[in-house]
Amino acid sequence: MLKMTHLQKVYRTHLIETYALRDFSINVREGEFVAVTGPSGSGKTTFLNIAGLLEEFTGGEYLLDGVDVAGLGDDARSRLRNEKIGFIFQSFNLIPDLNLFDNVDVPLRYRGFGAADRKKRIEESLSRVGLASRMKHYPAELSGGQQQRVAIARALAGSPRLLLADEPTGNLDSLMARGVMELLEEINRQGTTIVMVTHDPELAARAHRNVHVIDGQVTDFDDEPKLRRPVRDGDTAAAIA
Amino acid sequence: MEIRPILSALMRSKVSMILIGLQVALTLAIVCNALFIIGQRLELMNRPSGMNEADTFMFGSSGFGQGYDGRAVMKSDLAVLRQIPGVADATPSNSVPMSGGGWGSGISLQPKQKTSSADTTFYMVDDHGLNSFGVKLIAGRNFTPAEIEDHDQGARVQPPVIIVTKALADKLFPNGDALGKQVYLDEDEPRSTIVGIVEKTQEPWIDSKDIEHATFIPYFLPYGNYTRYLVRAEPGRRDEVMKAVEQKMAEANPSRIIGKLRSLQQVRHEAYANDRAMAIILGAVIAALLAVTALGIVGMASFWVAQRTRQIGTRRALGATKFDILRYFQTENFIITTMGLIAGGILAYGLSLWLMQQYQSPRLPWYYVPVGFLCLWALGQLAVLGPALRASRVPPAVATRNV
Amino acid sequence: MFAYYLQLGLRSLRRNPILTALMVVGIALGIAASMTTLTVLHLMGSNPIPWKSDKLHYVQLDNWSGDQPYYDDGRPPDQVTYQDAVALMKAAKADKQAAMFKLSMPVQPENKDLKPFQALARVTYADFFAMFEPRFKYGAAWNHDQDEGHARVIVLGDEMNEKLFGGQDSTGKSVRLNGIDYTVVGVLDKWKLRSRYYDLTNGSFADPDEFFMPFTTAIDLKQRSTGNNSCWKSSGDGWDAYLASDCVWMQMWVQLDSPARLAEYKSFLDNYVNEQKKLGRFPRPLNNRLLNVTEWMKDQKVVSRDMEVQTGLAFAFLAVCLVNTIGLLLAKFTRKSGEIGLRRALGASRRDVFTQFLVESGVVGLTGGVLGLMLTGLGLLAVRALYTEYKTVASLDWSMVATTILLAIASALLAGLYPTWRACRVQPAAQLKV
Repeated sequence: MLKMTHLQKVYRTHLIETYALRDFSINVREGEFVAVTGPSGSGKTTFLNIAGLLEEFTGGEYLLDGVDVAGLGDDARSRLRNEKIGFIFQSFNLIPDLNLFDNVDVPLRYRGFGAADRKKRIEESLSRVGLASRMKHYPAELSGGQQQRVAIARALAGSPRLLLADEPTGNLDSLMARGVMELLEEINRQGTTIVMVTHDPELAARAHRNVHVIDGQVTDFDDEPKLRRPVRDGDTAAAIA
Repeated sequence: MEIRPILSALMRSKVSMILIGLQVALTLAIVCNALFIIGQRLELMNRPSGMNEADTFMFGSSGFGQGYDGRAVMKSDLAVLRQIPGVADATPSNSVPMSGGGWGSGISLQPKQKTSSADTTFYMVDDHGLNSFGVKLIAGRNFTPAEIEDHDQGARVQPPVIIVTKALADKLFPNGDALGKQVYLDEDEPRSTIVGIVEKTQEPWIDSKDIEHATFIPYFLPYGNYTRYLVRAEPGRRDEVMKAVEQKMAEANPSRIIGKLRSLQQVRHEAYANDRAMAIILGAVIAALLAVTALGIVGMASFWVAQRTRQIGTRRALGATKFDILRYFQTENFIITTMGLIAGGILAYGLSLWLMQQYQSPRLPWYYVPVGFLCLWALGQLAVLGPALRASRVPPAVATRNV
Repeated sequence: MFAYYLQLGLRSLRRNPILTALMVVGIALGIAASMTTLTVLHLMGSNPIPWKSDKLHYVQLDNWSGDQPYYDDGRPPDQVTYQDAVALMKAAKADKQAAMFKLSMPVQPENKDLKPFQALARVTYADFFAMFEPRFKYGAAWNHDQDEGHARVIVLGDEMNEKLFGGQDSTGKSVRLNGIDYTVVGVLDKWKLRSRYYDLTNGSFADPDEFFMPFTTAIDLKQRSTGNNSCWKSSGDGWDAYLASDCVWMQMWVQLDSPARLAEYKSFLDNYVNEQKKLGRFPRPLNNRLLNVTEWMKDQKVVSRDMEVQTGLAFAFLAVCLVNTIGLLLAKFTRKSGEIGLRRALGASRRDVFTQFLVESGVVGLTGGVLGLMLTGLGLLAVRALYTEYKTVASLDWSMVATTILLAIASALLAGLYPTWRACRVQPAAQLKV
């Protein structure tokens, strides 16, 4: 589903080069629920941005669902993002000016679905997260947990194959966080691949496997902290999994 | 296009929308009416005087001292003037079109008529008058040298023959048979016969109701010691001839003052100075207004873009292309502008009505408002383009940045 | 505290230079447009002689044709005939009275370096000087006896005295006008009139009068006025017929020191016209008017309609600029809601926030006002270039400078009111991210 090999991301200014990712390899297969962990500044978010086609990378190879994304232009990337990927952000990123219905509608508009199709999908995905009754409400009228559910509904509405979640429970209290986590697990059971970035070991433990990132490199897999061996080979990650 | 969600998002920031809309509305109302006024003024300024303005100039001569013979000086001056190389012709004339001062009178078909049949101005010229004015004779004939009478200031104006403009001829004789007819310039006999009709000559007053009602009178008339001359130079030689004339006139007789030589173009320039000033000032107001409105849109749109950076990033993360973002802001601007324009259209007609009542100005032609719509739509789209492009460049990764 | 807010305001303006510049330029343009037109309008229409404008009255008698009024709306002629002017001067029923007209005359300087030139004379009576109160630099006005005696005397304007005598005291010297010598009895100080309000018929903003001559003396020259002359029937042949005609070419002013005197004079005029009717003159119904200075200026539309329209448009423009400023301030203040929340959390009261942001608006207004003042100066230069005859009315005085600055600050505060009110409503700490 998502395969990165020797991926590199360098931020260059004329004075210094900073490696956000150096030689980063990972292989996420269809139907997996992977947690990416690591301390602040380790490159988790850069990985997520590249995985979600929000940023470009400077070296290596990235195959998304078998497509090499290296040479794609902005519009093609936008389309790919829209069709294949659903996003869940730590701070929900609902558009405050739009009600829930219109918020979920946003990616569907860009997808170019017809009005009836969109309506059906919006209603379905909102009822999937249990908020079908509040379609006309605005984000500010909801609790944090509910807002994150809307964000999940928005991510699911376009039936993406891959869900990228960035600290999805980071802004929630533990009760709400549990609810969101259960929802994600449910979605994964129904076949959607999920990659979740988190620094919460408890959450990470609920994933199928863990990838630990330090200094822009994948260091550990599965339950932490076992191996401190840097992984150089993309296939190794897959092999161990 | 996704108008409904944009609209509902707009309704959430009503005040900003209303402010921009109001600005657009006021701008439209002012611009339409100001443009209309400018148009009227330009129309006034472009009316032809009927003369050859490019080659003609005029000046006054005032003699002084006892024993100054105005009539004799006039005769010798004209002889001198007509000799100067480059002079096509010269005539004495009490006034010229657009100069603002002249002789106004009534003209009647019957003796002792209660109200005259038409108003006109008198141009007292000699047989070189028509040629010096450069006006076109379309019927009849010019004055003959024998018809030029010596006339005294204050004496009754009763010339045997006159030449009138076509507009005046048609007003007096609507059947078009003015030539050879007789009219009364004074209230009593003798009458004056129309021997010629010229195509067009304006009165000296640019605000006159019947501006093309002029009458040429074959009088040789010094105003005491004062005379005014009109000189037409050969094509393209006006400035050179003006210098020569100024010098020759001073030499010809030292006991008089030659007033400033003014070309007819200068006379026109001065006559319409107020209209031109009005047009320029209104033009400046329009330009400033459009600039302020455009800047206002730029400012507001920039603010909205800044405020919604995260939202834009989210949209991008959800699959919006750069073009989608660009279009979003342009559509939003279009909606706001249109609402403002609708209000502005009503306001424009209202302002026009008020101006009609207050200043008897004519009604605003209907097409000004739709043209204004197009202009302000274009202005709005242009103004929002910068901020919208900036918005489209917001990287999608903004969405994952946590505040 | 105010100083602190001022400092905050200035810093805030510097932080967002483009937005600030947009606001300041917007206000400045609006202010400059309205102040430029307002200055011209104000000076054009301003009372030229406020201490006695209600005592000076312009005499109008309706001697026009029985078939047709002078003006379509029935107003009487702007000027009076020679015979009526002289009759009213002889009757001398007002506290002071002066008939007058405009005459251009050739001046032959004694100094041979100076070429002969035309100069504009105001031909009038001795009372003119007491009525319109120009200041004398040297000498004094001529007296009533000299009016009676057709004396060959003149009063020079400051500029003409400068030209002929280098600004020296020229009283007692003589000036040759069209071959006749006149003795200078007085020289005026600079007489800055915004409009030549005593003769609005011949161009209210036209060139000033260069010298003054007794009416009786000038009539002897048998010279027609250089100004407007209107007749409703032929004046007949010759000078004497002209003087006896119903052509109007003179202005007639009277000074009436009390409302009672005004009423008296009104009835005197009515009696005079009724007497004349018996002689076959004045075919129209009684229609005499005695407007005072300000009424007469209004009647003659000294403030042109173009100027009124321009001023109206300029203020509409200011309104647009204000709306613009409200929008931009709103944008600016909304962007600061985080800061406001923090300040509120740290103990600032609503009132503190209100003051802080209103001061910031005021700073914008002040800056806009100063820039607007400079632009107003440019605007007035432009008006002077465009309307050459408005030289005297297109200049700033101190009261207009103060008005400009105040208008700018008031505008900005007004514009800032709503955004500030919105800023105040930010809940403490609501905007703070935990």
